[in-house]
Amino acid sequence: MTDALLALREVAKSFGDTVALSPTTLDIAEGSFVAIVGPSGCGKSTLFNVIAGLLAPDAGAVLLAERDVTGTTGHVGYMLQKDLLVPWRTVEDNITMAKRLTGRVTNEDRAEARRMARAYGLGEFLRHYPSALSGGMRQRVAFMRTLMTHQRLLLLDEPFGALDAQTRLEMQQWLLQVWRDAERTVLFITHDVDESIFLADRVIVMSPRPGRVVADFTNPLVRPRTLEMLTEPDFIALKGQIMHLLHGGAA
Amino acid sequence: MRTTRRRLGLVARNVGVPILSLVLVLVLWQLIVVGFHVASYVAPRPRAAIDSVTQNWSLLWPLVLGTIRETVYGFVVGATLGFFLGVIMAKVSFLQGLVYPVLVLSQAIPIIALAAPLVLILGFSTAPKVVIVAWIVFFPVTVNVLDGLSHVDRDLVNLAKVYGASRWRTFWQIEIPATSTPLFSGLKIGATYAVTGAIIGELAASDGSSLALYQEHANSNLNTAAVYGTTMVMTAIGISWFLLVVGVEVFATPWRRRTVARRWPWRRGRDLVDQ
Repeated sequence: MTDALLALREVAKSFGDTVALSPTTLDIAEGSFVAIVGPSGCGKSTLFNVIAGLLAPDAGAVLLAERDVTGTTGHVGYMLQKDLLVPWRTVEDNITMAKRLTGRVTNEDRAEARRMARAYGLGEFLRHYPSALSGGMRQRVAFMRTLMTHQRLLLLDEPFGALDAQTRLEMQQWLLQVWRDAERTVLFITHDVDESIFLADRVIVMSPRPGRVVADFTNPLVRPRTLEMLTEPDFIALKGQIMHLLHGGAA
Repeated sequence: MRTTRRRLGLVARNVGVPILSLVLVLVLWQLIVVGFHVASYVAPRPRAAIDSVTQNWSLLWPLVLGTIRETVYGFVVGATLGFFLGVIMAKVSFLQGLVYPVLVLSQAIPIIALAAPLVLILGFSTAPKVVIVAWIVFFPVTVNVLDGLSHVDRDLVNLAKVYGASRWRTFWQIEIPATSTPLFSGLKIGATYAVTGAIIGELAASDGSSLALYQEHANSNLNTAAVYGTTMVMTAIGISWFLLVVGVEVFATPWRRRTVARRWPWRRGRDLVDQ
């Protein structure tokens, strides 16, 4: 038995001769923020798709709150670099999308969507179509839609990867604020080592050919995180270790 | 106030300019006929063509109604059939391979050649015209729906799946709205062809009273004004039907030209829940 919200047990996945993910065991504690960094092809997206249930693993089990959810869907919130807002729905209706797809959108859902949008700076855009929003605003709506799934585990796959550096920094701070309020468990994929350290309690480093976990760091930085921490010795030291793993001796 | 003025400007541009171009065509027509001294039995003046319509309106009106009926019935049947064919072909790839060649074949058959057997089967009723119109209309709808459904963003469909949506919900909430642009393209193409189909049907499968035969009759009597007048009426039916479809599209896809959603009076209740 374990007190982890998510537990992967020897999960493996291959595509033909390519080992996308070698047997991986991982425990993610309830309420934690865990980042996964690694180059393309290291199996992080495969890992996500297995956890989300889009891919059935060749071997192993995915346990969510001690329930076996291997190969099934409907148990995580999920967000990609592409915001995937539907252009034919307003901001409010995009936020409540998960309920529309799985049940009925109630007045309580709408009220919650509005409260959330107002609290996080999108109150004036509830009746707007997504085409009227900037990239950063669209990602905020996409994240609120993810929160409105009411799932305890949120999988975020490079959600800020397409944003410019300034907007990304704002979004990171915004995400930390929302995460603190919402009390969810977050698994966050990124290419950006700074981003992973700034956001996460724990940074998992993956490596390709075959895709596997090569390191698992506990982040010494305290919360709340501030921009000043980006230049602290602890931050630099952890960054050095991760960079060394990602880029070998060349770094 | 400013939005009202801007909207008026938009209406002026969207309605005024087409009317202006219509007037220009009539003026050009008048100038050519008068300027080149064209005999009235070769080409009438616009005024004569219009008079031939207004003066015989009581005679024409039932025929016009008949053509409209054939057009509308045929369009509805063809569009419905075309939509479901497109959906089925997109969802069952085995059927797509099987049916697609037959569809292409169906459009290669000259419509005129189709009319004779249709009359044998269905007689001189409205039915053969409806079949001909539907025959023309369904194809662009099917092709566009099939194309649209095959190009729905896979990531969006996967997102719905991760959320735990059923295939049915995903289809109605994601795939169908995502196909609205190609669907309406198909419907608009179908709408422009629908009246042509109805007229061909009337020519080939009528027993006496139809707009197409009225024109034929006028033609054999060298009543050129009536020939042109009838053509104008047919064109007007076609344009009206096309504009109606465009109107439905504008109404059904507000997100393409609006930044903020419309406010519906009957949904006000739900907008007030948390206030």
